[in-house]
Amino acid sequence: MGAGDFIERSLTQSLDHCIKCNICTTVCPVAAVADLFPGPKYVGPQAQRFRRADQPVPDVSVDYCSGCRACNMACPTGVHIAELNARARAQIVAEQGLPLRNRLIARSELIGRLGNGPHAPIANWALRQPLMRRTVEYALGIAREAPLPAFSASTFRAWFRRRERQMQPARRATQSRRQVVYFHGCATNYYEPHVGKAAVAALERNGFEVILAKQNCCGLPLISNGDFATARRYHEANVRKLLPYVRQGIPIVGTSTSCTLTLKEEAPAILGLDGPDVRLVSAHVYDIFEFLCELADRGELNTDFRPVECMLPYHPPCQLRAHRIGLPAVDVLALVPGLRLVESHADCCGIAGTYGLKREKYQIGMDVGAQLFAFIRDSGSDLALCDSETCRWQITHGSDVATQHPIEILAEAYGEE
Amino acid sequence: MTAYDTIVIGAGLAGLIAALRHAEQGQRVLLLAKGYGTTHWTAGCIDVLDAPETGDDPSAAIEALTVCHPTHPYASAGLANLVAALDRLRALCEAANYPLVGDLRRNVRLPTAVGALRPTCLLPAVMAAGDARQLPRAGSVHGTLVAGFRELRDFFPPLLAANLAVQGYAAQGAYLELPPTGRKRDFTSLTLARLFDQPEFRAHVGRQLRRLVKQNGYSHIALPAVLGLEHAPEVVRDLQAAAGALVFEVPTLPPSVPGIRLLRVLERAVIQAGGRLQIGAFVTQAKGRDGRLESVSTAAAARQQRHHAERFVLATGGIAGGGLRAEPSGELRETALGLPVRAPEHRAAWFSPRVFDGAGHPAFRAGVAVDRRFRPLDLADGVAYTNVVVIGAALAGVDPVREACLEGLALATAWAASDIG
Ligand code: SF4
Ligand code: SF4
Repeated sequence: MGAGDFIERSLTQSLDHCIKCNICTTVCPVAAVADLFPGPKYVGPQAQRFRRADQPVPDVSVDYCSGCRACNMACPTGVHIAELNARARAQIVAEQGLPLRNRLIARSELIGRLGNGPHAPIANWALRQPLMRRTVEYALGIAREAPLPAFSASTFRAWFRRRERQMQPARRATQSRRQVVYFHGCATNYYEPHVGKAAVAALERNGFEVILAKQNCCGLPLISNGDFATARRYHEANVRKLLPYVRQGIPIVGTSTSCTLTLKEEAPAILGLDGPDVRLVSAHVYDIFEFLCELADRGELNTDFRPVECMLPYHPPCQLRAHRIGLPAVDVLALVPGLRLVESHADCCGIAGTYGLKREKYQIGMDVGAQLFAFIRDSGSDLALCDSETCRWQITHGSDVATQHPIEILAEAYGEE
Repeated sequence: MTAYDTIVIGAGLAGLIAALRHAEQGQRVLLLAKGYGTTHWTAGCIDVLDAPETGDDPSAAIEALTVCHPTHPYASAGLANLVAALDRLRALCEAANYPLVGDLRRNVRLPTAVGALRPTCLLPAVMAAGDARQLPRAGSVHGTLVAGFRELRDFFPPLLAANLAVQGYAAQGAYLELPPTGRKRDFTSLTLARLFDQPEFRAHVGRQLRRLVKQNGYSHIALPAVLGLEHAPEVVRDLQAAAGALVFEVPTLPPSVPGIRLLRVLERAVIQAGGRLQIGAFVTQAKGRDGRLESVSTAAAARQQRHHAERFVLATGGIAGGGLRAEPSGELRETALGLPVRAPEHRAAWFSPRVFDGAGHPAFRAGVAVDRRFRPLDLADGVAYTNVVVIGAALAGVDPVREACLEGLALATAWAASDIG
């Protein structure tokens, strides 16, 4: 039996565990606001009964699933609803083709490469022009109001390489004992190099040598837009590139919680990829605060923090919750004197990767996020924390409050500028 | 990484109230649950015990039970713990502007969605007017209107009314027109509850009810339990004022809005008391040494997450709640910690040949046996773990649904077990 069959079977079996209680529907943020979406139970375990490889797709409303996985968390019997939905969308894409818009936004790496560089200010300026955004909306279906990030003038990788060249050999020698691979993902590389710099600082403060392994986009945007064939190629390429490190037992640490989730679980489970190499890579991937938390557990975390006197609203994004590791950022940052995080308890920010960018889904995304935006605004803080980049952009868009990755606060507590 | 004082497993009423109690005692508490459960399935009332032999007095029935069934969990928990837990829950709900009413010395019978009368002890105030003792009998000048919406599946006013009529009540069913909502497709109980939270929506319903009351002189109106998620008492007050009759909710099929209201009250209280909830956490492994449970592990992406604590509370429920599971091998298994289960020896003895056997089915009395301090026993009656307590429907020797004691059992045992160090 092939690996794909095994995963297929676990999905099919999970279908039989559904007791039709509709608990999933009560927690689905999209079903709560969108009439077009009948909810996880219907598009997931129920409609799945009518989906056959050799038959046309019975129901396209599953495309309104944002993939937030709130349903999986609440289901008392462990039905893999979100995975079923992702596969159902891929079946639609396989049948009807991928719209140009989705093909474009799914290639975060390609877009990043196009906009990044010395011309970034021009690209950013252009993307802020209402006429440009209207044209983009008309031609591509990307909502004109949707939060698009600003390109960085220089990539994270370029910064890292420059720094590597400049660093004195002496400093490098002292760091050689413990190593980690940093998985930066597209967002850090092309839009937010500062997140990567903070991660490198925090890891180095804990005595790790940070390795910048070759890597490519984790493929999540492709998975959530239903282009499984390309996503598979992406994941296989990442496995090839990361394998030499994990074979030596070097952990892979990421700041983009959706990338780390994809490497750990989404890609293998949804794309039906399995095998010793895929599993070995998956087993070595950590979300950065999960990693730091484990250091703390072993008493190895550098807790030489300077006080950061503030109380900050924190939104644990859906993708982080899907790791099922609790709230490691809250636990680690609790060790910083003076710092207090207030958890949002809101369902979802509504962006769900590329979901809320789409013309037909933009308003749904904003309605889903309304509760969270209100929480952030009402906190009175001028800064909010969240582990996922697209969620940060959406939160700022919806609440007008600046956002940071929690690792940036940790770096600050370590005295980094 | 946090070392917890107490880890509670299960997010039903037992687990939530145990987590709250421990957190309020100043402990660091983590609640792990594989998902939501009983709160979404049950009626959102507090069933203490069906008490036909003591004139519907559940407290007297518990006293009697303590004497004749000393191994019943209520006997170990004691009435005082039940009273204390009920008081705490009442105060919480009161503070959350969702009052509960009722009396431990008198059960109330409330109509179900099919019109059967079901005993319960504490009930949300928004159901109080459904007390069968107060409902107009056939031949009286008044009557009960049972109203609903065609858009809400599985709630049939004519059926409910007809079954009440068979039992001698004056009742008529009617479908209401759904106020304009902009929604066309799918309506769950929760969708409607959120709509009722909006004043215009309920005003529209109120006007329809008023017309029906004027035409037919109803004194009572039964509606599906969808009358608001956040503002239920206000919704009922508005509807009563508009209709000129008493309004009460009748629990629906799952998802149960009154159950979700209780869940929200309790979740917020646990968080406010400093506890943490991790929903979506399947406990898959337990590690113990020298008769103590040291840690449990939950399934996470790519690996297991380990959780350490001084003390563990197992509140995972019985067969319905998923705390017990029948294996293909014909065994009943306790799913989280792998504790030994007391059950009929052979599968053939699980069920009585008659579906509606008054004595119930032996399988539903299966569960984990405990000592007087709620610590789990192994099959030789030794304490399996000294720092674990088992509460609620996971316990052996009680059939909570048939005895109509699901919530009372959860509360009493949670309270009792958290007092014992
Ligand atoms: S919560 Fe799980 S069991 Fe319940 S309806 Fe949804 S998928 Fe089915
Ligand atoms: S993944 Fe999120 S949006 Fe999709 S069905 Fe589940 S809860 Fe709803």
